[in-house]
Amino acid sequence: MKGNKKWLNIVSPVILLIVILVCWELYVAVSGIDARILPAPHVILSKLGERFMRDLSGDFLYTIQVILIGYCISIPSGILLAALCSQSKLVTKAITPVLILMVVIPMLTLVPILQLWYGYVMKVRIIVVICQAVPIICLNTLRGFTKVETAKRELFRSMGAGRFKTFVKLIFPNALPQVFVGLKLGCIFSTIAAMSADLAASNEGLGSRISVYSGMLMTDMAYGTIIVVALIGIVLFMIVAYIEKKVVIWIK
Amino acid sequence: MKMKELMRLQGICKVFDKGLDELVCLDDINLTIQEGEYVCILGPSGCGKSTLLKIIGGIEKPTLGSIVMDEEVFEDGIPKSHLKDFGFVFQQHNLLEWRTVQKNLRLNLEIFRLKGSVWEKRVEEMLEIVGLQDYANIYPHELSGGMKQRTGIARALVHDPKVLIMDQPFGALDAITRNMLSYEMLDIWKKTQKTMIMVTNSVEEALLVSSRILVMNKKGEFISKIVNDVPLKARDEKIAYNDRYNELRKKLDDIVHEIQE
Ligand SMILES: Nc1ncnc2c1ncn2[C@@H]1O[C@H](COP(=O)(O)OP(=O)(O)O)[C@@H](O)[C@H]1O
Ligand SMILES: [Mg+2]
Repeated sequence: MKGNKKWLNIVSPVILLIVILVCWELYVAVSGIDARILPAPHVILSKLGERFMRDLSGDFLYTIQVILIGYCISIPSGILLAALCSQSKLVTKAITPVLILMVVIPMLTLVPILQLWYGYVMKVRIIVVICQAVPIICLNTLRGFTKVETAKRELFRSMGAGRFKTFVKLIFPNALPQVFVGLKLGCIFSTIAAMSADLAASNEGLGSRISVYSGMLMTDMAYGTIIVVALIGIVLFMIVAYIEKKVVIWIK
Repeated sequence: MKMKELMRLQGICKVFDKGLDELVCLDDINLTIQEGEYVCILGPSGCGKSTLLKIIGGIEKPTLGSIVMDEEVFEDGIPKSHLKDFGFVFQQHNLLEWRTVQKNLRLNLEIFRLKGSVWEKRVEEMLEIVGLQDYANIYPHELSGGMKQRTGIARALVHDPKVLIMDQPFGALDAITRNMLSYEMLDIWKKTQKTMIMVTNSVEEALLVSSRILVMNKKGEFISKIVNDVPLKARDEKIAYNDRYNELRKKLDDIVHEIQE
């Protein structure tokens, strides 16, 4: 039974994807729509395979660096910020709406200002990723840190556990499910932020490629680049989800 | 049984702030607990039983009143240095889900900074006492309700406290498991000779395990203190046929019935 279900979890999204692709393929074939507006999936994939190494690999490496460096800095920063804020109820209350605001604001708006300071360097885009990922990681982690059962707190108080021990042995492990919610959202936000930073900064990165290809009416390659971006996001997400499964074993 | 005073509560009051209002939860509680006693506390819900246990176990501080222990007078609740004298069993097992059974017991040793092979061995002994030696490396979500509660009891014992404090420890269990665990509790009391203070809502349970029964009314006052002299030998599956048991049960049922009105 259980093995069956696991199998279904993998197969059903794949089937859905295939159905969508087939419909797409059929629609393009039947309607005869201009390939510069909507190319068929097989065209996108073959073009992508043909030109990825030559045209995209440099931008791919560039963007993946931006995402990974930004995300890896965001994880400890977001968690640390949440840990500090959770020490005071007042600070928690004050910072929560600020965090929500920062989650909602597209951080690509920072690009022009940052470029004034730093020039056209990768650092600018990494900062954008950090600014976008830290709030969402922090917000979710903070929620975990502040939601601890009263009885568990009483257990620790009954032993006279100090602040540090209570944090390390109760509050942090208790919040891990919430922390992983933040981390999973964080890798998606990092990918989106890197993309938008590319678009705003232009000249390098997968995001700027998309706008270049669109401008040159190479719609198939624009779509292909989007697929590459989506794959980066999905793979990152799956890695984090895999680690979550190994760590948070008590929630099924 | 030779009597030696373990702790004495003097004029304990607890007042909660409720916005503009104040809620007097406990008013002038005086209680002496002897070493090796098994005290059961009965009372309607909301009368302050849990609050009293939390004050005894050092989780809460009393608003007024003092606690005397080892000829020391504590005016502001149990101090940190004496918390090791108490083990707390909660109504919901209250285990840490991310720790195995064994590591849940170890938590107490870590927090009280108890290291060494003596304590390592004690973890095993306590698991044996509650019959969970084969489940040491299992996570709580894989245990039944009764096993979780047993783990909670072993955890409360592992740092070798003088007093075991239990707040309706079997309240969340089904009737059969509950009954089984009360016999086990009696056994643990005999084996470990610890002082036990337990809140329960069952007269039968109190009569089976305790040596003394205290009844609280709605206002949080002790209206009745009964010495449970049903002989230990008679406390088995046939306890219901014991005359003294039935006598006390009737008496207690009447008192409990009265305070409900
Ligand atoms: N931390 C608290 N803050 C405010 N009121 C409380 C608190 N703890 C308990 N009370 C109140 O004190 C009364 C006694 O509670 P409790 O000791 O839990 O009763 P019992 O365990 O006998 O059911 C209740 O009216 C409850 O609402
Ligand atoms: Mg209670």
